[in-house]
Amino acid sequence: MDQPASSLTRRDMLKLGGAALAAGTTGAGLLAAQPAAAQTPKRGGTFRLRLAVSPVHFDPQQTVAFSTMVPLSFSHSRLVKVKAGSSVKPGTTPLEPDLAESWTQPNDTTYVFKLRRGARWHPKPPVNGREVTAEDVKYTYERFLTLPGNPNRGLLEQVDKIEAVDKYTVKFTLKEPFAWFLDALASTSTWIIAKEAVEQYGDLKRPEACIGTGPWMLERYEPNVRFTWVRNPNYFLPGLPHADGVDIALETDPSTALAVWLAGRYDFAPEYGMVVRRSDLDAVKPRKPGLQMQDYIVGFGGITWIKLEQEPFKDVRVRRALAIATNWKEVLETNAWSQGHGAPNPAIPAAFRDWSIPIDQLPAEGRRLYEHDPREAKRLLAEAGYPSGFKTTLETTAGYGPDWMDAVQVTLAGWKKAGIEADLKLKEYGAFVSTTLFGKFDKMGGGLFGLWADPESYLYRYFMPGQPLNASGVNDPKLTEMIRLQRRTFSAAKRREIVYDIQRYVAQHVYGLYGPSVSAVAAWEPYVKNFGPNIGHDYGGRLMVAWLDR
Amino acid sequence: MAKYADAYVLPEVPREIWGLGGRTRALLLFCRRKPLGAIGGAIVAVMLLMALGAPWIARYDFDASIPGARMKAPSPQFWMGTDNLSRDVWSRVVYGARVSVTVGFVTIALATLVASVVGVSSAYLGGVYDMAVQRVVDAWMSFPYLMIILSLLAVLGPGVLNLILSLSILVAAQSARVIRSATLSVMQNPYIESARALGGGHLRIIVRYVLPNVTATILILATIGLGGVILAESSLSFLGLGVPPPQPSWGAMLAGSGRSYMQRAPWMAFWPGAAISLAVFGFNMLGDALRDVLDPRLRGTSGRLAG
Amino acid sequence: MLRRYLLKRLVVAIPSLLIASLIVFTLPRLLPGDAVQLMLEEKAYAKDLDELRHKLGLDRPIYVQYFAWLGQVVRGDLGESLWTRRTVAEELAARLPVTLLLGGMAAAFAVIIGIPIGVLSAVRADTLRDYVARSAAILGLSVPGFWLATLVIILPALWWGWTPHLGFTEFSKNPTAHVLQFILPSLILGIASGASIMRLTRAMLLEVLRQDYVRTAWAKGLRERAVVLKHSLKNAVIPVVTVFGIQVAQIFSATVIIESIFQLPGMGRFLFDAILQRDYPVIQGINLLVVSIIVLLNLLVDLTYAVLDPRIRYS
Repeated sequence: MDQPASSLTRRDMLKLGGAALAAGTTGAGLLAAQPAAAQTPKRGGTFRLRLAVSPVHFDPQQTVAFSTMVPLSFSHSRLVKVKAGSSVKPGTTPLEPDLAESWTQPNDTTYVFKLRRGARWHPKPPVNGREVTAEDVKYTYERFLTLPGNPNRGLLEQVDKIEAVDKYTVKFTLKEPFAWFLDALASTSTWIIAKEAVEQYGDLKRPEACIGTGPWMLERYEPNVRFTWVRNPNYFLPGLPHADGVDIALETDPSTALAVWLAGRYDFAPEYGMVVRRSDLDAVKPRKPGLQMQDYIVGFGGITWIKLEQEPFKDVRVRRALAIATNWKEVLETNAWSQGHGAPNPAIPAAFRDWSIPIDQLPAEGRRLYEHDPREAKRLLAEAGYPSGFKTTLETTAGYGPDWMDAVQVTLAGWKKAGIEADLKLKEYGAFVSTTLFGKFDKMGGGLFGLWADPESYLYRYFMPGQPLNASGVNDPKLTEMIRLQRRTFSAAKRREIVYDIQRYVAQHVYGLYGPSVSAVAAWEPYVKNFGPNIGHDYGGRLMVAWLDR
Repeated sequence: MAKYADAYVLPEVPREIWGLGGRTRALLLFCRRKPLGAIGGAIVAVMLLMALGAPWIARYDFDASIPGARMKAPSPQFWMGTDNLSRDVWSRVVYGARVSVTVGFVTIALATLVASVVGVSSAYLGGVYDMAVQRVVDAWMSFPYLMIILSLLAVLGPGVLNLILSLSILVAAQSARVIRSATLSVMQNPYIESARALGGGHLRIIVRYVLPNVTATILILATIGLGGVILAESSLSFLGLGVPPPQPSWGAMLAGSGRSYMQRAPWMAFWPGAAISLAVFGFNMLGDALRDVLDPRLRGTSGRLAG
Repeated sequence: MLRRYLLKRLVVAIPSLLIASLIVFTLPRLLPGDAVQLMLEEKAYAKDLDELRHKLGLDRPIYVQYFAWLGQVVRGDLGESLWTRRTVAEELAARLPVTLLLGGMAAAFAVIIGIPIGVLSAVRADTLRDYVARSAAILGLSVPGFWLATLVIILPALWWGWTPHLGFTEFSKNPTAHVLQFILPSLILGIASGASIMRLTRAMLLEVLRQDYVRTAWAKGLRERAVVLKHSLKNAVIPVVTVFGIQVAQIFSATVIIESIFQLPGMGRFLFDAILQRDYPVIQGINLLVVSIIVLLNLLVDLTYAVLDPRIRYS
């Protein structure tokens, strides 16, 4: 229903080797959801897995990088969290209580949370296992909102005031109604932190300051080598976590990681989201009989921004021609992760099963965009006054990896068939991030987009005039109004209607060209029980309810 | 012991025949006495042929997607199989030769020019100029090459031209030193002194006396350098900095999707990898043989052509 | 005599170092996109960018930054990473030993492989043994290092479900395993240099073997081994020593690839990441360190050269 609001940065995409173009059709194919209740959880053992990127530091309020947020998901908690386990369908994010036991919403702009009693911090200095109070929550979010340079601040922009009503009650007052508030709180950027740690170390960057209320504690961090986590004896949910510890290896090279998994030294497939590339699956299956697998969408897509005030893109027919000339099916076929499985994306990637509009619910003209037809594209171009096509440039970076480059090649080949000659301008990754991403490009720019874990960001940050990421320069009062409206609409069903309408509108006007999303295969060993892969960085939450049966 | 003595003696060849087919004769002799070098030379020749004749030798365009031919194993239609974008690997390897040859030759040409100018002038003029130049070359050579390449490519942006520029700067620094020492040893020669005494202009002396004797060194450096450039491009491709698409380069094919699909479609990586290895092998062997044949020091007064 | 030579070389090394430090400092700053923007990436808001820049001292004029840095360096302070806020010295201390061990063992392998094969090739010049030895060595050089490394890791995994032990073991945990884990990577890293050394050894030895004094030794009836090893090799090796210095520099440049694939937390990979992230203090620190090491090494090489060849000392 409601989704967590964390995000991957483009730099993270660099490390992921690019092109996990996400969001495919809903978990069809190799669905293997297990009935969780049937078995009794076993206690003990150590999970072993791999992360591709070493965290730069551990302060969740000074970075958005998944390389920091994933480790923190083992040691920290939020007020509310996303449910985990094999019964949860990937792409959905049902919320449940975390540190907050319950909450109420007296009016549109006020939320009152009741904290669990007896929840304790990790028994590590300087916090030393004391009880969690409302003051901790207040401190966390005040620092969140006031710390200079907090790139996550936009998530909770609407918060006006935080009050610790009593020892276990916190009240949030918002400036205006924000229907996504709970999702924002459930994101993997809003971890509750301890004041003493900040005071002792100045900030939370050092691993010694990694002190939370989560299921595991950081025992050891060897930079660029591995993490070692041990069970938190004081964890507020009795009986959890099942496993005694977690060992995370930090391996940057994907071939090496695959080899190590084949040699049996990981319990989960090595890529982000516990995923294995489909192209490797054939080699893996004979080695791993009984391997549990699940198709799902790992979460992001490619986007091409178009400068809307430049010729020839002013004409919507030209934009439509570009979309129709894009062969997204071919992109999926050539991608190593998807090998053909996946789905096209409207404005909100298809990974978000509850919020992304199915393509067949778009109006006819919108649907048409997703049918690759070079002749139709040529006809539209001729109508718009470009019978022999036109030349343009596409700025992007090779930093997302060879899969992304392949996708770009396929896209350009498709456009060429319709007479659109795009000259590829490659930028070094760092340069790309400082310029193209923020709209400093000519004509067209392309990249892996969003990487947000909440669907709303895909609308707000790209279509609201004045937002730094609104690289196409969209300024459409009707669209702006619709986006504002859905923020104020609390009923999920009604909100969905508006969100669907927004996506229909965007498709009509072709404000962006959206590449398809990849459906990849999550895989885990037969002795790992009650594990349910899902989008987002909450590895810790998903491993907490799983157990090892051996 | 006896076998060393043998090495001094060149088989006797009648003079008249030298006059007739001198060059061919020399070539055949070269092949007989330096078989490895000859093999290397043959490989290089094949590569050059591929590069020049690409449009005729390749069966498809290098970025043509052939419908229905995704990741097919080698077959009569696709001699080296097809890749994940349904492109013919053979055609891409052939066009890749063109890219490697272009990048290689232009880089080496540029580098050799700069290195020769720097090296020869430094040795010839000597003095403070020499010392200063040597300091800078020293500093430059002590650098991790990656840092320089990455910085240059970041500033200039990825691209074939920028790659050539960055690589040639590096190669030039290394070659400059070798050329300098070669020039220094040429300068020992008495006729340079006498030419100077006779009042010959500097440029004239350099061009007429110094350069011809340094040419052998330059040629050897260039040949081996070509192998190095091809290898460097493949390493840079691994780091994401090589020749950008759509141009196919062996390095990008190997380090990119070739590596990704290694166990599903090994031919995607095998053929460009073999091409790189063969090319580098060829250039190195050829360069070695050339050095054996051309290096004036080895051709000293103690006997004719050494082995 | 030797001391004077040493002093002379030291004095000459200083301007090299200074020039290098200048290059080290300016090069990363030419890169478009600065550290702050990268840190905040797409979530940046304009005023935060400036605040952060000021906090990190990036808004002062360049020459001020350069001299401030130089002053710090002379006092032994390499600064703090812009990203992690740990001192550069701390980061390097953890990683330098790894790279040194990797590079050192690679250099050792290069010599162990290169010189004997070079001698063999020279002594049996133009025979089958020569051809085979040379071909094998050059083939080792011709296969790109990352490819060799990939094959070595993934093929056994695919065929037998086994990989060499990856996942770094620290020295303190298990000294033997720690050293052993470097063998495969340094072998791969050292092969290319080994081929160069082999080639040069062969060429130099061949030249020496044709000299008059060697002919005299033959005439005197000395056995082959004595002639080659005692009389000739020492002279032949001199230029090889020079090349060795260059080879070591190249080895250190290439460690980044091997470190990535074999999961060794060394400086090569760290430098690469720092460049991408525009972490200026780290980039400068590592480069300065590496350049100093190489300059030092060249000094040692020159010294060895002087010891081996008395003529040099007196020039």
